[in-house]
Amino acid sequence: MRTASPTAADGAVAPGVSGATAPAVPAPSPQPSAAAPAKDSAGIRGMIFLRDRGIFVLWIALILAFAIWANPYFATLNNAVLIANAASISAIFAAGVAVGIICGALDLSIPGVAALSSCVAGWMLVNGLPIWLALATGIVLAAGVGLVNGLISLRGFNPIIVTIAMLSITSAIASIVAGGYTFPGLSMLDFMGTHRYLGVPAPVWICAGVFLVGTVFLTKTRDGIRLMAVGGSAEAVRRSGIHSDRYIVFAFIISSTCAGLGGLVTTAVVTEANPSASPALIFTALTAVALAGVSLAGGRGSLPRVLVGALVLATISNGLTIKGIQPYWATGVTGVLLIGSLTLERWVSKSVSKRLMATAQASVHTGTR
Amino acid sequence: MNDSNAAPVLELSGIDMHYGYVRALDSIDFHVGPGEVVGLLGDNGAGKSTLLKVMSGAHRATGGTVMVHGEKVEFDSPSDATEAGIQMVYQDLALVDALDIATNLNIGREILRKGIFGLLGFVDHKAQRKRSEAELDRLGVRTAAMTRPVEMLSGGQRQVVALARSATRVTGDRNGVLLLDEPTAALGYEQTQQVQALIRRMADQGIAIVLVTHNLALAMEVCDRLAVLNRGQKVADVATADTDNDEIVGWITGARPSMFV
Repeated sequence: MRTASPTAADGAVAPGVSGATAPAVPAPSPQPSAAAPAKDSAGIRGMIFLRDRGIFVLWIALILAFAIWANPYFATLNNAVLIANAASISAIFAAGVAVGIICGALDLSIPGVAALSSCVAGWMLVNGLPIWLALATGIVLAAGVGLVNGLISLRGFNPIIVTIAMLSITSAIASIVAGGYTFPGLSMLDFMGTHRYLGVPAPVWICAGVFLVGTVFLTKTRDGIRLMAVGGSAEAVRRSGIHSDRYIVFAFIISSTCAGLGGLVTTAVVTEANPSASPALIFTALTAVALAGVSLAGGRGSLPRVLVGALVLATISNGLTIKGIQPYWATGVTGVLLIGSLTLERWVSKSVSKRLMATAQASVHTGTR
Repeated sequence: MNDSNAAPVLELSGIDMHYGYVRALDSIDFHVGPGEVVGLLGDNGAGKSTLLKVMSGAHRATGGTVMVHGEKVEFDSPSDATEAGIQMVYQDLALVDALDIATNLNIGREILRKGIFGLLGFVDHKAQRKRSEAELDRLGVRTAAMTRPVEMLSGGQRQVVALARSATRVTGDRNGVLLLDEPTAALGYEQTQQVQALIRRMADQGIAIVLVTHNLALAMEVCDRLAVLNRGQKVADVATADTDNDEIVGWITGARPSMFV
């Protein structure tokens, strides 16, 4: 008998599991797996829910915990705005990283691109050019770097190395533009920095806009869905007659554009364009993305979860700060959470595939064993 | 069930394939008609996969001609073959695990929403689900809810989705060709039965099917005709009804002399 299924490698049916599926045996139905016991499928559903929505549960738990622990300072409207504001910039970067990873285009040049956009825009503003032109140039420049990243990666070079190289190149150009200094006093960008609309700071609005557009794009539009599909299986998309390469380049462009936007918003908040590319930025973004359960293998992930991932990080650091605990504890807690979420993801995926294998083989074989 | 006298959908004549001094294929003639299931048998290294790759456009034959619907074609890439109505279903299925059945079946031929949303590239998920349901119904395979991610399907269900995806792409105004490479290799008994029935139903819709397999029982059961390769040469090409297991095994192993000498 042939049982060499790719997923069956570790899928020898455990006796207990096959026992649970035994009721499916007697009727040789034409659709055997449809006859799987409802209990099993509910279990799988529950585990999938945990994997897909766990981050929301975690965030709510954190909020409740801090609300009690750091009462009465944590659970206030003002503090909520603070957390949202703190999360917004890293969330914009995380959105870019997430779209890249989902499509299989991990972009590490993000800090460099952010610095480049912000310095070029800063230089233009200092030289009296109009604000809209400076911002537009920053964004277009960032998209251009993404295009270059994508085109080079398509030539068969490892995208990680390519984007690390681009990180160096872009941050060098940023420093050259800035002449080794910074561009301070860019208060004309206040409208997208510290200014508040309806009581909510501008970066939060921008971040919300990015995630709204991004989520709709990825789930509702043809190109977004194809982008996710390319990340999941470029071969499947190629065999459907679609140029999967274009979508990879597209993902690099989105990634870089988010980086440019993030850089400009950072500049607006601190009213200074700084050419130093901080690698911490990419790691915070990656942490939020990984917490959100976006698989580094690609093809899987959702932007709302990434947003919550960024919010979780901001919530932890905010809550611990209120309690007067040193910030390095927040870093440590984040690390533990990250490993915890990976473990959960692995465990859920494994048990789900194990159970599915059980139902797949719950046919004539199960009864005789 | 089929008419082997009908004009062949896909016809190969005198196909040679040389890798350096190695003759992988030696002047192979092969054809498959609409609604016909032809089994391509042979031991490892007999040239089955090479021949399949020539048909699917992945390889370019050293010599010989390929004709689709009576017209000579040159495939430079698999996408040329796809355009000509030839779809290959690989062993690895190539489904997008995280996406649902409907999306997998519709990728590359999405239905856009009407009006302004359509211009913006918004996909009409509902219409896509409906179309896929209808297509699967026509093939007699309703596996699971259309919104179920492929990763939550069993091996047999995945195989069915992969086959259906290809089948829906070759049933245009003209009958297409499906090339199946070991479609039941990873399946248990019952799933194999299911896929076997699906292959027959696809043939009944007029699709020409080439089936490469090591599973002789499957080939005897599902194929109208069997072609056997041995060391790059075609040694037999017989209607399944006119032969039996022992004869076929003889041709596969080389114990039985070629029909064509």
